Amino acid sequence: MTMLDLQRVTKRYGKDTVLDDISLSVDEGETVAIFGPSGAGKTVLLRLIAGMAEPEEGAILVNGEDLIDVAPENRAVGMAFQNFALFPHMSAFENIASPLEARRSTKDAVADGVHKIAKLLKIDHVLGHAPRELSNGQKQRTALARALVAAPRLLLLDDPLRNVDAKLRFEMRLELPRLLEGFGSTVLYVTQDYREAMALGNRIGVLIDGHFVQIGTPEDIYLTPTTIEVAELFGDPVINLFEGRVEKAGDGTTAAIGDAKLPLPTGYEDQVGQPVIFGIRPENIAKADDGTAGAIAAKVAALLPLNDRLVRLLVSDDGHEFYTSRDLGSEEAVGEGARLSVSAAPQDIILFERDSRRRIAPAR
Amino acid sequence: MRRKRRNWLPYLLSLPALLVTIWILIPFFTAVYYSMMRYRLSLPHLKGFVWFDNYLQFLTDARFWYTVQVSLTYTVLTVVIELVLGLGIAILLQRSTRFNNLAAMLLLLPLMVAPALAALMWKLMTNPNFGILNYFVSLIGFSDFRWASDPSSALFTVILVDVWVYTPFIMVLLLAGLRSLPKQPFEAAALDGVPKTFVFFRITLPMLMPYILTASLFRMLESIQQFDIIYAMTQGGPGNTLTVFQVESYLQFFQFTNVGRSAALLMVLWAITFFLSNVFVKNWLRLRERAHGVEAE
Amino acid sequence: MHHTTTGEKILRGVLITLALVFFLFPIFWILLMSFQTNAQILRIPPSLFFEPTLINYTSLITGELQTAAGSLKLEFMHNLWNSVILSTGSVLISLLLGVPAAYAFARYKFRFSEDIAFTLLSFKFAPPLLVLLPLTLYFQAIGLANTYIGLIWVYQLITLPLILWIVRGYFEDISPDIEHAYRIAGHSWAKTFMKISIPLARPGIAAAGLLSFIFAWNNFVFALVLASADKQPVTVGALAFVTASGIQYGQIAAAVVISITPTLALALFAQRYLVEGLSLGAVKG
Repeated sequence: MTMLDLQRVTKRYGKDTVLDDISLSVDEGETVAIFGPSGAGKTVLLRLIAGMAEPEEGAILVNGEDLIDVAPENRAVGMAFQNFALFPHMSAFENIASPLEARRSTKDAVADGVHKIAKLLKIDHVLGHAPRELSNGQKQRTALARALVAAPRLLLLDDPLRNVDAKLRFEMRLELPRLLEGFGSTVLYVTQDYREAMALGNRIGVLIDGHFVQIGTPEDIYLTPTTIEVAELFGDPVINLFEGRVEKAGDGTTAAIGDAKLPLPTGYEDQVGQPVIFGIRPENIAKADDGTAGAIAAKVAALLPLNDRLVRLLVSDDGHEFYTSRDLGSEEAVGEGARLSVSAAPQDIILFERDSRRRIAPAR
Repeated sequence: MRRKRRNWLPYLLSLPALLVTIWILIPFFTAVYYSMMRYRLSLPHLKGFVWFDNYLQFLTDARFWYTVQVSLTYTVLTVVIELVLGLGIAILLQRSTRFNNLAAMLLLLPLMVAPALAALMWKLMTNPNFGILNYFVSLIGFSDFRWASDPSSALFTVILVDVWVYTPFIMVLLLAGLRSLPKQPFEAAALDGVPKTFVFFRITLPMLMPYILTASLFRMLESIQQFDIIYAMTQGGPGNTLTVFQVESYLQFFQFTNVGRSAALLMVLWAITFFLSNVFVKNWLRLRERAHGVEAE
Repeated sequence: MHHTTTGEKILRGVLITLALVFFLFPIFWILLMSFQTNAQILRIPPSLFFEPTLINYTSLITGELQTAAGSLKLEFMHNLWNSVILSTGSVLISLLLGVPAAYAFARYKFRFSEDIAFTLLSFKFAPPLLVLLPLTLYFQAIGLANTYIGLIWVYQLITLPLILWIVRGYFEDISPDIEHAYRIAGHSWAKTFMKISIPLARPGIAAAGLLSFIFAWNNFVFALVLASADKQPVTVGALAFVTASGIQYGQIAAAVVISITPTLALALFAQRYLVEGLSLGAVKG
């Protein structure tokens, strides 16, 4: 059942159109990650839903009710701010208690609620502290607790892990999905980190320049990005792009990249002869047996360790540079200067139109 | 297209403040009206509208030009002296040590004395019978120095009081300015062995300029309107030695009951302060933006 | 690095001492005078050593001065009381009106907002007599002449712009998100204003209040023009007192001391905020 429904929402600040005619439906209990580069309008979107700003056009519906004339305090949403926005003159306890107090709960019920959520977020030992006495991690958890404590029907999280250190971010990335699931809330989660978006979102909305470029499950977005831009935003190292053309080969088609010809899956027959851009993710580039027809002959130009993986920068004989992050053999065996042939499985090659930079879906 | 609802709250919040003060426009326009009238309280039957007669008369009126001259002299001298002294003291106290901060705090006290009372204090100190300052100057050979009661030294005396009261104002603003300047240019200059006078004229002074401008414009605005010190000290005398704008218009109103002339004089002063305050506000806003970086959405 | 030479240090010390002497000596000297009898004051050469007397203060406080020529009534305590009423009343009303307005100007961009804010500021810079002289005639007509209410009303021209512009800066420094967070938590605008905005701006509100009190207290020309003897504050009263008491210099000095003590004390109290207040929020101390 649709819980939150954004209908053709447009927001302008002066002459700037920050959100341009965007629509999004979120189901009850679903977590949608709003992902995009900074300045894309992610935070503005949350502000509109929370009632801190008003859209110029469009409607925001929660459970079918238009929120336009509903004051922020009556929208029953919870929100965690990127800069935490804790009340500096109140203790952590009072901060977390504020949504419960607003609902006129009894004193005992307030204390109960605060302690429960504080325990869950492991901040029950610092409830008496003022915000300035809390570590960044504790501040972040306090802000989260304040957003969650009243079990709001809709939870808006504005990049809550942005201002915490890497270790904590890693922990929280594991902890948050379980926590959010436990609350059963519908969640909009804003982030600039594609990993966070993929780990937390049932679906991801990719917001660029005030438009949703793609809304879909993490798999959808990773495997079938609608544009090169989206493809480039997801994945590290970044997706490899090769200019080339689709050529006919027997019954099927191949991707002609320089001298190499990689077989394509069926469905691209009508693209034959078209100049296109082929996208192949680094982890999908595998070593080909020597002598495989059409493989890309390349030389290892550099070895770059990335987290637990070894990334190689390869240069093909016809001058294309690209990354691989798949196991191609030990560092000694395939070291700098080593020559090898690589290729990719047909289904791992993504085609984009050269001019519009949009994905070409295979014909059914 | 969604209807953009007007938020009345800000109007509701700011209106009472405006309502309580906006009536000032009534006496203001009354003054504008009076300034174009022949209007003496003592000669009510002569009352009548004369357009710009009062202003035109000023052109050939020596007493008016004397007012202009003495007001400008007073303003220029006080502001220049206070600026030089205030800047000097601010530089002396620039380093934030405990002694310097204590000194800065004590030096601020004269600014907190009501200017009228400050004049009274200096009157007591320059009394011909027992004034301590008379005693001091007699030690260096001025046995009968008569301070504010002598036309030749009256301006000097009121300027002295003005300097005593308002130098701390410039001092404290420039001190705050000096202490807020970025450190890097000075460290770089020191490392390169740049001479101190060069650093002062080429780095300190230009960077301090917004503060200097704001502080001295503020002082100019007040100084051209000075009333309290001069009136409390001499009531414009001796004779009409110190008939600056506001003192002169006060005397014209209450002593000569010449309402029209008094109002016209004040309009001339208003024109000057209007011009000055526009220049001031521009500079002041620039400083203010620097102090409150974040602009609300 | 530049090294300060010993000579420089000494010169610096001497100059600072000179400045301190020039700016503090008058206060010090008047304080001494206030503890002297007329005879002691008139002694030449003046002396730092004398037997202090409280006679000047007691006669000011009791309101009666016994002289050889008989008893003289002193109204000074009444002036002091007027100063307290006028300054306190003006500041309280200005806070009541100015703080909400300051909030509006800090948080909302509305039509005419800057025009209104600058109009209020411009009142501070116009020549006061321009308004006061016609006002004497109006005040007679509407019965506000020589009333506390009339004076406090006019005093708003001093205190309100000051409070408005200082407090506005403090509100601007509060992150709007903190207020948003409280509202999203379920609290009304009014409650958010009282529980979040006001407490967070409290230092600024206190500072603006203290400063505008000092300015109201030190005002001279408003009351000189609009108030008769029974409503005059100390600034005007002390001057009248000089003429009335003639040669009672000790009492005049004591009256000055009593009149300037409140503002000096408040200034020391509020010194952290003085710079910001004096520059109407443009310079932070």
